[in-house]
Amino acid sequence: MSSELLTKLSECVEFGKINLASPYPPQMKGLPGADEITKEALESGVTPGEILNDALISAMNKVGQKFSENKIFVPQMLLSAKAMGASMIHLKPFFANGSVQRKGVFILGTVFGDLHDIGKNLFGMMVEGAGWEVIDLGIDVKIEKFVEAVKQNPTAVVGISALLTTTMVNMKPVIEAIKAISPDTKVIVGGAPLSSDFAAQIGADGYGKNPQEGIVWLDKLTA
Amino acid sequence: MYNFKSFHFYFAEVAPSVAEVLDFLKSTDLEEEHPAVIFIRDILDELNYSTGIQGGYIIKNINELNVKSGFINIENTTLNIGRQICGYIKEAEKVALFLCTAGEEFTRMTNALNEQGDIMEAYLLDAIGSLSVENAMDKIQIELKQILHPDHFKISNRYSPGYCNWPLTDQKALFDLLGENSIGIALSESFLMTPRKSVSGIIGIGQQLKHHEYGCKICTNTTCIYRKILHE
Repeated sequence: MSSELLTKLSECVEFGKINLASPYPPQMKGLPGADEITKEALESGVTPGEILNDALISAMNKVGQKFSENKIFVPQMLLSAKAMGASMIHLKPFFANGSVQRKGVFILGTVFGDLHDIGKNLFGMMVEGAGWEVIDLGIDVKIEKFVEAVKQNPTAVVGISALLTTTMVNMKPVIEAIKAISPDTKVIVGGAPLSSDFAAQIGADGYGKNPQEGIVWLDKLTA
Repeated sequence: MYNFKSFHFYFAEVAPSVAEVLDFLKSTDLEEEHPAVIFIRDILDELNYSTGIQGGYIIKNINELNVKSGFINIENTTLNIGRQICGYIKEAEKVALFLCTAGEEFTRMTNALNEQGDIMEAYLLDAIGSLSVENAMDKIQIELKQILHPDHFKISNRYSPGYCNWPLTDQKALFDLLGENSIGIALSESFLMTPRKSVSGIIGIGQQLKHHEYGCKICTNTTCIYRKILHE
């Protein structure tokens, strides 16, 4: 029973079936969605940890993989993330009371001077779906704001995003400021104009060419 | 001496079609019943009642254009537009400095969608805003071309700070040159524009100006997401 619910939930997230009222995808019309199935699973004794690990993470993994292979594009990915969010609402109390352990805290922001947030938002959702707590600092994030967030969350990993060649250069002083107060804090960078070489040059510990690569890098930190 | 010429478009005049939005998002394969397609259709209808898109330009004479050093001087203000853009407008005698915005209403609607967790819808609305502003600028550019045509002036494509290696920090100098305008776009200390869905930049004007390809086709950034979306 529990494995059947987890499979159904995983499919809802993968294909973007949010709740009973959602008419999409057509083959799931009139059926319960991620919202109702999560509720049912919890009521029938499935643990929040099982829901997170055996349904949500695996579903978002598939979504990330399809995205990196150009089999789906941003709208489909965001619909999946929305379905995941509908499930996650029911898990939030368990995260808050500590009965479900997340993999860690991930601080995320678009570097100062840059207001592009699509890549950042997508990655944030994927990271959350991969079992991390995400603190999203937003766009045009100043050095001081990143530093303050690291001070408040000393064990966190930091992700910095930029979309322009003219703003990606702003990442270096952010990394330097973070490393100055917390040398062991790991920093991953991402964004369309970046490369692994550039990431290494500016002192980043990791680089994600796409969300999936970023998740793989993050998960290695917890392995 | 030229004055700032402003334009106001009703949304319907510059709105992209559903197909154009899907094409922009590389999502032409989405089914008719996909929530993204339904949202795009509905919001385009709703936006027809919005305040519309505002833009405009001011023409200025060029004091100096130095391709080798990558700068242009206008009224004793230097814009470091870079060698690439300088090369594209090297025959220019004048420039049109432009602004265009989808307005605060667009930002408010996008933020509201994000806050209520409608992230896909916010993303789609953002794309519609970008396309509408670009369509409005296309219309402004056509008008500029027509005005200048009798004097045998040609115009270049438009170029913006932040792209083609033109530093975003030059927004300050660009806005100083633009002076007072009725569009109401403000700059943050990080040189970002408010309302968020806005564009600014430069168009070269000259009798000997040659045509160069626009945007992604001329950019050397081979990994940019827009290039990926539009041209692959």
